[in-house]
Amino acid sequence: MSAVVEVSGLTKRFGSVTALDDVTLRLEENVIHGLLGRNGAGKTTMMHLLTGQDFVTSGSIRVFGENPVENARVLQQVCFIKESQKYPDDFLVRHVLRSAPWFFPNWDAGFAADLVEEFRVPLKRRMKKLSRGQLSAVGVIVGLASRAPLTFFDEPYLGLDAVARQTFYDRLLADYAEHPRTVVLSTHLIDEVSNLLEHVVLIDEGRVLIDAAADDVRGSATTVIGAATVVDAFVAGRDALHRESMGGFASVTVGALTPAEKAEATAAGLELAPVSLQQLIIRKTGASREVEQSA
Amino acid sequence: MTTVTAPTVTPALGNRILAVVRLHLTNRWTVIYLPWLIMLAILALNVAIWAIVLSAAAPENREEVRQNLGYSGAASYMFVYMIVIAVQAISVTFRFAQGYSVTRRDYYLGTSVAFVGFSVMFAVGLSILAAIEEATDGWGLGGKLFTSTVFGEGDGLARAFVFLVLALFFFFVGAAVAAIWVRWRAFGLTAFFVGLAFLLVGFGALIALTDSWVAVGEWFVATGFLGVYAWSLVPTAIAALTGYLVLRRATPQG
Repeated sequence: MSAVVEVSGLTKRFGSVTALDDVTLRLEENVIHGLLGRNGAGKTTMMHLLTGQDFVTSGSIRVFGENPVENARVLQQVCFIKESQKYPDDFLVRHVLRSAPWFFPNWDAGFAADLVEEFRVPLKRRMKKLSRGQLSAVGVIVGLASRAPLTFFDEPYLGLDAVARQTFYDRLLADYAEHPRTVVLSTHLIDEVSNLLEHVVLIDEGRVLIDAAADDVRGSATTVIGAATVVDAFVAGRDALHRESMGGFASVTVGALTPAEKAEATAAGLELAPVSLQQLIIRKTGASREVEQSA
Repeated sequence: MTTVTAPTVTPALGNRILAVVRLHLTNRWTVIYLPWLIMLAILALNVAIWAIVLSAAAPENREEVRQNLGYSGAASYMFVYMIVIAVQAISVTFRFAQGYSVTRRDYYLGTSVAFVGFSVMFAVGLSILAAIEEATDGWGLGGKLFTSTVFGEGDGLARAFVFLVLALFFFFVGAAVAAIWVRWRAFGLTAFFVGLAFLLVGFGALIALTDSWVAVGEWFVATGFLGVYAWSLVPTAIAALTGYLVLRRATPQG
């Protein structure tokens, strides 16, 4: 495994606010990563730092083995598409697409033209007159057609309809298969991208909670469903990530179960259900506590 | 476990800077066509006003009126527009360029090259208009828009030099002000202008208290018309350097 990004002991403060707190992380080459977390968790800050657009408070960042800040050699390999990207007021869509190849050496103009058609982006419209969805589509087109060895998408789908989002996922996956590269996808729509992600990094309140292969994360929890008394007996002594009960039935999410434990649960008449990435992340980042308190 | 390293071949600095220059030229309408169209419209309006004034004057006064016609300051519009281009260019393309993975240094170098190029373009254009104005005796009406004495005493080359240093001054002062805006927003601008006001008033007070106004006047006389304009390159250079130092630590999120 080869690391494209190596972060160690990274802390970023804005005044008295600690946005990232002693983060250590590796992103492997040619893997699609999901950078997940709630609003304000530090995802965008992290990407700003990795792309040299902001400065660390302490700790070190290595991108392609070097500090990315003011490093043209590294930044030429990087494309960062963010939801809040600003475009010059007088730019038309075609100006954005015309200028992109000057900055991204791997730019594929044919691919970009295909995407423009698929996303139905009006080339002659001013950037500031675009709808939120069209603006996102331009970002997605630049992010895909630039084929940068390290591509960041920060909430790239805002305002995109379900069809356009699916187009984005399909095109990303297809192009990634032909032109492998390292992708970091920051998103709230976890279930939608769940199948795309090979590696998951979960940030909460500036700290890394999960940094693991997506499959391992999915296997790291199981929901046990059945009669409340039986469920309670089975999960006694385990860490319950989440608990719901209705009438005499209960559904409790616990950590990974061994095959023997699974057999035991089934024998006791309990039902086992997989936990979706989104459910797991909701439970890891605090929502479960609120549910329990209100229950 | 290994680390993937960046390719050892860095794209040439020249190409990276050229890309930023092209970025400023992407929409030529704003930076090239529009200012000249407005300038020509201002010229047309002035010509019309001169014609009206002349036709309204009694025939025996006409020559006198003609002599005093239009020491118009309208050409200064061009220099105001230069500040606008500079401020807009930096306040918006900086964040855009950051999104396109351009380093601050490459961005500033490319922007500076573009601004010098724009300055040359404006200086050449204004010089051509001044030459036409001279050749046609003020557009046939004795008007002076581009040959105003502010820009020189009639030597075409000297006037081109004045246009150039003025353009450079306004572009780079605009760049520095915009950089302060990008980095510190409204607070930075307020602090900057208050500081500048204190500096200028303080400088004036210093001259007054040391009874140096005569010396200052003598300096202007001794330095000469072109000399004073040449000295403007010093504040221009300071503004250019300030712009870079401010932008070097600026972040696109503002």
